[in-house]
Amino acid sequence: MNHVITTEGLTKTYGSRTVVDSLDLRVPEGCVYGFLGPNGSGKSTTMKMLLSLVRPTRGEVSVFGRPMDHRTRHELSPRIGSLIESPPGYGHLTGRENMAIVRRMLDLTDRQVERAVATVRLGDHMDKPVRAYSLGMKQRLGIAMALAREPRLLILDEPTNGLDPAGIEEIRDLLKSLAGEGVTVMVSSHLLDEVDRMASVLGILGRGRLVFQGTRAELFDRSTPDLILQTFEPERALALGLSASPIDEGLRLPGLGDDDAAALVRRLVRHDVPVHGLYRVRRSLEEVFMDLTGREGLS
Amino acid sequence: MRMAVGLEVHKTRRLRVWVLCLVMTVAVVALSGMNLFSESAREGFADPAAQPWESLLLNQVMISAMTSPVLVAVLAGRQVDIEHQSQGWFLARMSGLGPGLLCRAKAVVLGLALTLTVVAQCVLLFLAGLVVGIEVAPPVALWARYGLFLLLVNLALLGLHLWLAARVDNQLVGLGVGLLGAFYAVYALLMPTWAAYVLPWGYYAAISPVAMADDQLIESMPIPWAFALFLCAAAALFLGACRYLDRAEGGPA
Repeated sequence: MNHVITTEGLTKTYGSRTVVDSLDLRVPEGCVYGFLGPNGSGKSTTMKMLLSLVRPTRGEVSVFGRPMDHRTRHELSPRIGSLIESPPGYGHLTGRENMAIVRRMLDLTDRQVERAVATVRLGDHMDKPVRAYSLGMKQRLGIAMALAREPRLLILDEPTNGLDPAGIEEIRDLLKSLAGEGVTVMVSSHLLDEVDRMASVLGILGRGRLVFQGTRAELFDRSTPDLILQTFEPERALALGLSASPIDEGLRLPGLGDDDAAALVRRLVRHDVPVHGLYRVRRSLEEVFMDLTGREGLS
Repeated sequence: MRMAVGLEVHKTRRLRVWVLCLVMTVAVVALSGMNLFSESAREGFADPAAQPWESLLLNQVMISAMTSPVLVAVLAGRQVDIEHQSQGWFLARMSGLGPGLLCRAKAVVLGLALTLTVVAQCVLLFLAGLVVGIEVAPPVALWARYGLFLLLVNLALLGLHLWLAARVDNQLVGLGVGLLGAFYAVYALLMPTWAAYVLPWGYYAAISPVAMADDQLIESMPIPWAFALFLCAAAALFLGACRYLDRAEGGPA
C-alpha cells in the first residue's frame, strides 16, 4: 500500500511539555484518514508539522515520498490543500475577491477557482463580504481555497466546526467523493460520529501519542467487548469465582476473548448453571475511543 | 515580491487607507495653514524679515510631528491586522509567501501611500501660501528637503510599526505606541537638541528645516551622521526582522 504521509517518531515539545510524542503515522493513498483525539491531544500541532508550519523537535515527516521541511515545502505545497484551525478569508473583502487573491497567489486559472467554488456550493454568496458569512460559509470558502489548487492531498483540521447537520453531511459527502477521485484526505475531529461515517482509516491520538491506527474493523478487534451471560441464577455462576458484575438479565463479564467464552460455557454447563443466552455487548466507537484515550473526554 | 505587492494593493480595498491619508493631508494643511488668515501674518506677506514661508514651514513641522506617528501606526495596524483576523499568514505561508515577505510588500504599498501623503501635504501647503498672497520668494529647496526627510522618518517608523503589528495581535498596542511617539515628537521640538536623537520619534523634530534663534527662524538640519545611522539601522532592523519572521514557525504573532 502506498502511503502519502509517513512520519517517524514525530515529536514536538514546548519547554518541558510534550505535545506530540513519537508519532508514526501512515496515511494510505486515496483514503479518508480520520484523525481523532480529544481537544488538546495534539491533532492541530501534528497537522502543522505535516505541513511544515511547525518544526518538529524530533522525528521526520515524508509527504509523497519526500521529506517535508521548510526547504521542500515550497515544492510540495502546490499539491497540498489545507485548512488548519479557523478558515482563512479576509473579512473586508468579498468571497470573489478572496478567491481572486488565492488565484493570484497560486497562479491558478479562472476555471480552477470556479470549480472549487462550485464544489463547495458557494456560488450564490461570492459577492458578499466575508465578514457577513456564517461560520459554515466561511468553512466552505476555506475548503474552496484549499481545493482550488486541485490538490492530491487535503489536510483539514476540524472542517465541520460550526456547520449545521446538513452542512456536515454535505462536507462529508464532498470529502468522500474527493477520495473517490483519488485525493487523499486527512481530516481531524474530536467528534467521533462525524469521522466514523466518512473515514476508512482511523488514527487516534491521546495525550500526544498515537494509541491506534488502522481500519474501523481493526479498531473493534483491538478492544474486546463485554460478554453478557443470561441466566436466572447469577449467584451460582458467581460462586464459581467468575469476575463479573450482576445485571438484570444475569452477569456482565469483561475482558473475555472467544476461547475464554467457550471455556466459560463448558464450565457453566459442567456445574449445571442454566445458560439462557450469551452475547457480546455491541460497543459504540465512542466507547472504544474512550477506552483507548483513557477517558480524557470528548468535549 | 512583485506578486506580493500586487496582492497587498488588492487587500487595501475597503480598508480606507486612501481615505485616512486624505483626511490626514487635509488636517495637516488646515492646521498648519490656519495662521495664514490672521491679520498679523497677512501684514508680513511682503516682508522678508517677517519670514512668512519659514513660519508656515515650522507650523507644518509641528503638525506633522503630531499627526505622522499616528498615521503611520494606524496604517501599519490596519494592513497587518487583516492577516491576524483572517488566517492570512497561514494562507500566504502555504502559498510560499512567508510573513516577512508579506511585511516587506506591505511596507512598499504603505510607503507609496505615505509618499503621496507627504507630497500632497507639502504641495498643498505651498500652494496655500501662494494663493493667500505671500510675496516673499519661497524656500523651495528647504521645503523639498524637509518633505524628503519627513518621508524617510515615516518609512523608518513604518518598518517598526509593521513589525510590532505583526508580532502583537492587539493593534491597540501599536496605536498606543504611535500616540506616545507623537507626544515625544512634539515635545522634542521644545527640548534640547540632543533629546531629538534619543528615540526614533524625536527625528520628526530633528529634521525640522528651521529653528528659533534670537527671535529669528534660522535654517536647520539634522546631524547628518546621526540621521544616516538612524535610517540605516531602521532599514537593517526591519529587513532582519522580516528575515526572522520568514524563518519562524507558523504565524509571526
